[in-house]
This record gives sequence, structure tokens and C-alpha cells, in this order.
Amino acid sequence: MFNFVGKFFKLLNGDASPGQIALGFSFALFIGLTPFFSLHNLIIFFFVFAIRVNLGAFFLGSAVFALLAFGIDPLSIKVGEYLLNNPDLLSMWTELYQSDVWRAFKFNHTLLLGSVVISILLFIPMLIISRFIVSTYRVRIMKWFEKLKISKMLKASKFYKYYERLGE
Amino acid sequence: MIKWIRWSGLAGFVVVVALIAALWLLALGPLMKMAVEKYGSEAVGAQVNVEDISLGFNPLSLTVTGVQVADKNAPMENVVSFDTAVATLEAFPLLLGHIIVPDVTLSGVALGTQRSFSGELVVEEQEEEESKEETASTDEGSSNNSDSDSETAEASEGDILPSSDEILARENLLTTQYGKDLEDSYKQHKQTIDTALANIPNEDALKNYETELNNILKGKFKNLEDFKQRKKEFDALNAKFKQDKLAIAELTKAVKESKTDLNQKWSKLKDAPAQDFANLKGKYKLDGAGATNLAALLFGDDVGGYAKTALEYYEIVSPLLSDDEAKAEMQELKDKRLEGRLVHFKSDNPLPEFWIKTLSFTMQLPELEQDTGSVGEVAVKVQDITNQQDVINAPMRLLATGENLKNMDSLKITGVMDHRKPPSKDSFDLNLQGWQLTNVKLGLVGLKLVSSKASVTAKAVFTKGEMDVVGNGLFKQAKFDTKDTTFVAKEMNAALKNVNQFTVSTSANGELKSPNVSLRSDLDKQLNSAFNKRLKQKQAELEDDLKEKINEQLLAYGGDYTEQLKQLNLTEGSLKEKSKELEKLAKSEISTYEAQLKAEADAEKARAKAKVDAEKARMKADADAKEAEEKAKIDAEKARAKAKLKAEEERKKKELEEKAKAKLKGLFG
Repeated sequence: MFNFVGKFFKLLNGDASPGQIALGFSFALFIGLTPFFSLHNLIIFFFVFAIRVNLGAFFLGSAVFALLAFGIDPLSIKVGEYLLNNPDLLSMWTELYQSDVWRAFKFNHTLLLGSVVISILLFIPMLIISRFIVSTYRVRIMKWFEKLKISKMLKASKFYKYYERLGE
Repeated sequence: MIKWIRWSGLAGFVVVVALIAALWLLALGPLMKMAVEKYGSEAVGAQVNVEDISLGFNPLSLTVTGVQVADKNAPMENVVSFDTAVATLEAFPLLLGHIIVPDVTLSGVALGTQRSFSGELVVEEQEEEESKEETASTDEGSSNNSDSDSETAEASEGDILPSSDEILARENLLTTQYGKDLEDSYKQHKQTIDTALANIPNEDALKNYETELNNILKGKFKNLEDFKQRKKEFDALNAKFKQDKLAIAELTKAVKESKTDLNQKWSKLKDAPAQDFANLKGKYKLDGAGATNLAALLFGDDVGGYAKTALEYYEIVSPLLSDDEAKAEMQELKDKRLEGRLVHFKSDNPLPEFWIKTLSFTMQLPELEQDTGSVGEVAVKVQDITNQQDVINAPMRLLATGENLKNMDSLKITGVMDHRKPPSKDSFDLNLQGWQLTNVKLGLVGLKLVSSKASVTAKAVFTKGEMDVVGNGLFKQAKFDTKDTTFVAKEMNAALKNVNQFTVSTSANGELKSPNVSLRSDLDKQLNSAFNKRLKQKQAELEDDLKEKINEQLLAYGGDYTEQLKQLNLTEGSLKEKSKELEKLAKSEISTYEAQLKAEADAEKARAKAKVDAEKARMKADADAKEAEEKAKIDAEKARAKAKLKAEEERKKKELEEKAKAKLKGLFG
């Protein structure tokens, strides 16, 4: 837990751009909320590694969202059931079902489809919100926090050095 | 835009993915080998060994070499084995864990090959310990269990068809029962006859009868007293004789009763073999072990064995076609909504977990032991092998066609195994034409079908764990022979010489493990007719011979009394004659004496009668004279009266003439 918190604050306090951090959290939605061993996650990993996404934010976010997924899964399944059993979409699903490639993505799995849809829906909001939070934190809270006496004392203490090692 | 690309990350990703793919591809062969051996062994209940599995990439394919599937009932034999299997694979489904094989070609396929090591499944140590614990816990009842185990072992051994000798040894035959009954009765009657024999007179006594009788009848009766004396002696002798006659009659009765009783029992004994045969035929008529028994009984272990093997193969393959476990898992998934589920849609491209679209191979036909050389090959093509027929919506289809056939004109087997929805239905058709059979053991009295040309058609349907099989075979140009020298073998062979062709029809229905099987053949009729004719003739000879022997034995049981019995019969006749003669003689003497008295009486009577007659004659003469005198007087009186009447009539006539003349005169006058 300390590890998580340490990493999180190191990330916030680091010099990585808020956009990269936000993108990392957004991509983490897919890894955390959807079943891990799925073909679409290979694409997510490709983007995460190929684009300058903050890997710290991505892995941290993945771990957090994987924990949140236990609560979100029922909703994901309901969404997937609704979409896959929707008569209006039946022709589309049937068409996709004829393709080996699409079936390789297991689009017809209720949890997978539901969680991917939720991840897509949350991607942009997550990107905007997390970028806003990081920027705001750095501009306001971080500077304010650094000016506090207690903060200066802590930074000088052995505890902080230990904390920093944890964050590396 | 390029500044957004992290080249190091991209390279790292590519390297990592490539590394994982390479490792996966390298590990795939051994992993698949392990999976095939593990799950294959679990499925068939015996070791499945694979020498090697390697992957090809252009096109994506799998080459499996050295596959052996052990026979769980005979671990040193393989149910099936093949040298190489080359299977092409579809790549994308493989990413999903679906093994879709468009085509598999097998080579070096063989059935029933020998193994170099046992194919028995090695039980896990833990399981062994558990089983040991279980055995220990049930140790107290182990004697019963071991008994039942041995019974089970016997039962499994009992699947092997017993020989005719074994059948006769284990069955309680009526022939034996009636034979014993006859033997017991014979002993009982012998005792009765022995007792009766002890009461009849011996030879000396019989000779005395004749001597005494001659003494009585010797010379003429001197007087009435002498006659009476002899008569008295004769009566005494006769009484003694009657007593002995009674003893003889009792013996005769005992012998007669014995003969009647033994004849009845012999008659039953005579019919017993036919009844035993009918009973045994009914009893050993394809129950328990199914179609194999009767087939084995008629056509030997070889053909029976094939039927059994075919059923075993079916029992192995059938459960693999319906993926009950997968369906159960699916249901479980439905229940556990949190894990989600796969929703399937109509598709022209279904994707089951495992699917071999076409499997083809050529294999040697199994040879009959008696045949020399190969029968030929059969090209087998199996379509749509999968454990999820409901997903591909197609049944498994089998087509086997004979090729390079040596002793057959044609062979075709088709099959459809439909497990799409319960109840599953599997049907097979067999069409075999012009099968030249040579030296086929018939499993009975060493009989062989030396040669015949057979045509066989059969249809089998399996559904709901039940089977319905109908088969017809026509055997032409049949020639039989046997080297056995037993009576039955010789007679059977003689009867079969007249059989040129015959048909065999079989049907089996009911539960797969215990079907009701019937087998009909006009060979039975033909054999019955020919064999019965020969058998009746021989049976008649045998009956006569046996009867004679039994009668001889019956008399022989009398031992030294046999001759005496014959003598008794002769003596009985002699005594009867003498007795009649004696009575005749006695009657003759008495009649002489009575005749004398009667003659005197008759003479007196004659004299009296003559006197009466003379008196009667004299009296009659007197009466006649008197009567003549009276008659003369009457005649004289009658003559006078008649003359007077005439004179009167003359007078009246004259008076009338005168009156008439007077009247005439008055008229003319």
C-alpha cells in the first residue's frame, strides 16, 4: 500500500507531462476493467509502449482499476448482455461473428464487451479529468505543500529518504 | 507527431511479443504432446503415447508421429496406432484456443498391434494410498468382497464363449438326469426280480413233476377205487404245480412291469438330448455379452471377436462426441453471471473448441486367422469430428470404401453419428459384396467353411443407449469340412455336403450392454432336414442297439437265473400240456363206466317201446276194419237213395211231357 502511495506521489511530483500521465490512466482502464488475457489488450500494450504514455501512470492505473473491476464487473456484464441481445444490433453482431478475426477478440463475451464499452466511454473523461487533476495538483497543491515547514522537515528526515527509495 | 512515438518502447514491445511467440511455438509441440497423452489416456482408460508433435508454418500445420492407443483390456496391445498424422490448422481460431483442423491425413494405421511396454494407466501414488486405506477399512468384509471380485473376474472371463465341452460340463443336462433315473430304476427292478426268482422251482423239481405225472397215468384203471386213488394223487400234484405256476406268474409280472417302466424311462432318455439341445440353444442365445456370443458360436471366435471389438470402439468413441462436460461448464457459466458468457450467433463459420473437418486414412483390413495374405485395404474418410456438434450444426459422417480388395468385390461402410441435440442417434450401414471366404472356423465340432462367396448387408442404429441392428448375409457356393471323427461331426459334415447356399439374418435390439439378439438362418432348416434324416436313421439303429443292450443287460442282471427263466417258460408250457392230458384221461375212464349203465337202460327202454308199438298196431288194424264195414253200409244206402231219386225225377219228367202235349192239343185242337 505504501508502495502504491509512494509511487503515486512520486509520479505526481515528477516531471512527466500531465497529458502522458492522463493517457496512462486512460489506457489503464482497458487493462484493469477488461479480462486481462484478451487480444484487444495486446493492442493497448502496443499503443502504451509505442506512444509516449507514462508507464508509471499506466501500471498504477491498471492495478487500481483491476481492483475496481470487482465492483464494476456486474455492470459490465449487464451492458454486454444488453448489447449482445439487442435485436437492433443482432445483424451487426452476426456479421462480425462470421469473421475469425473479430471472434478472436471475443467480442461476443458479455463481460468483455461490456467492460470494453465502459472503458471506451470512460477513456476521454478519464483523460480530461486525470490531466486536470495532475495539472491542478502540480500548480496548486504541490507548491503549497512544499512551502509548509513540516514538509521541509519531512524532506530532511530519514523517513522521506526511505519514502523516496520506495518511489524509485 | 513523431515526437509522440517512443521508439525504444516500440522495439521493446516487438521484441517481447516475438519472444513470447517464439517460446509459445517452441513449447507448443511438447505441450500438445503432454495434453494429448494426458487427456487421451483419461478418455480411453489406457495409455496414449505420442512420439513427437511438431509445428509447421507454411501452411500452419501439425505433424504427429508414432501414436499408440493402448487397449485397456489388453495392455500389451494397441487398440489403434499410426505412424504419422499431418494436420493443417487454422491460425486465428488457435489464438482463441480453438483447434480447427481442416484436414488430417493418417498413414501407417493399424489395429491390434503389439506394444513393447504395457499400456496400463499408472495409478497415482496418492490414489493407491487411498485405495489401500479403503481396502484396509473394509478389511472385515474382505472375504465377501474377494469372493465377489473373483466372481466379477469369472464374469469377465465368462465373456469368452465357452466350448461345447465346457457348456456340457457346467449345465445340468436332462440326459444325465434321466440316465441316472433309468439306472436307479433298473437297480430297483433287479432287486424285485431277484426276490421273485428265489420262489420259483428249480430244474430237479420240474423234472419230478413229469415223472410223478407219468406214474399216475401209467396203465389202465383196474376199478373205480384205483381211479379215485390216482385222481387224488393227481390233484395233489396239480395243487403243488399251481403254486409254482403262481410263483412263475409273479416273476413274469415283475419282469413285465420292469420292462414297461424301463421302456418309459428309456423313451424319456431318448428324447432328452433333443430337449437339452433346444434348452442350450435357447440359453446360449446372445444374452449378456450381446451379439458376440451367437456369432461366435456359429462363426467362431474370429468373427465374434470382430463384433465385440466394433462395439468396444463404438463405446469409446460415442461419449467423446457429446461434450457433456463442456455443456455442464456452459450451464455453470450461465449460473455465474459475474464471469460473463459467450453469446453465439448464426454462422457459416462455426468455431467449436475442437474440430477436424476431414480425417482420411487407409488401413489394412483385419485378416481372418485362417486366411493367408492380406484381404485388402479400406480407405476411411471421416468428416466433422468434434465434441460440439451443436456448434457446427452437423453430424459426424463416416465413409469407408474397400480398395485393392483381394477376396471381395466391394466393401462400403457409411455412418452418421448425430449428437447435435439429445437424444443422440448414430447409424451405420454395411454393404459387402462377393466376399470369398476360405477356411473359416465354425467353432462347432471342428467344422470349417472351406469356401463360400458371401454378400452381407447390415444396418445399425444406436439411440438413447439402445441399439437396433439388422443384418442379412447370403453365403453362396458353400463347402464345409471337418477333421473331427466324432459321430456328430461326421453326420454334420454329411448333412452339410448337400448345402450349397444359405442365408443368415441377425437382429439385435435393446440396451447396448445387454441387447436381445436373434439370429436366423435357413442353414438351420437345411441342416435340420438333412441332419434329421441321417440322425433319425442312425438314431433308430442306435435305439435298437441300445434297447437290445439294455434288455440284455436287464436279463444279465438276473445273472445265472437267465437260463432258468427260459427253462421256466418251457416248463410252464410242458406242465400245461400234461395237465390237460391228465384231465382228459380221467374224463375218459369215467365216461366208459357211465356208458355201460346207459346201454342197459336203453335196451330195456327199447323193449318196452316195441311192445307198446305192437299193441298200437293191432288196435289200429281193428279200428281200420270196422271203419271199412261202416263205410260199405253207408255207400249202399247212398246208392239206394240215389236210384230212388232218379226214378222220381223220371216220373215227374213224363208227367210234365204229358201235360205239355195235352196243352198243345188244346191249342191246335
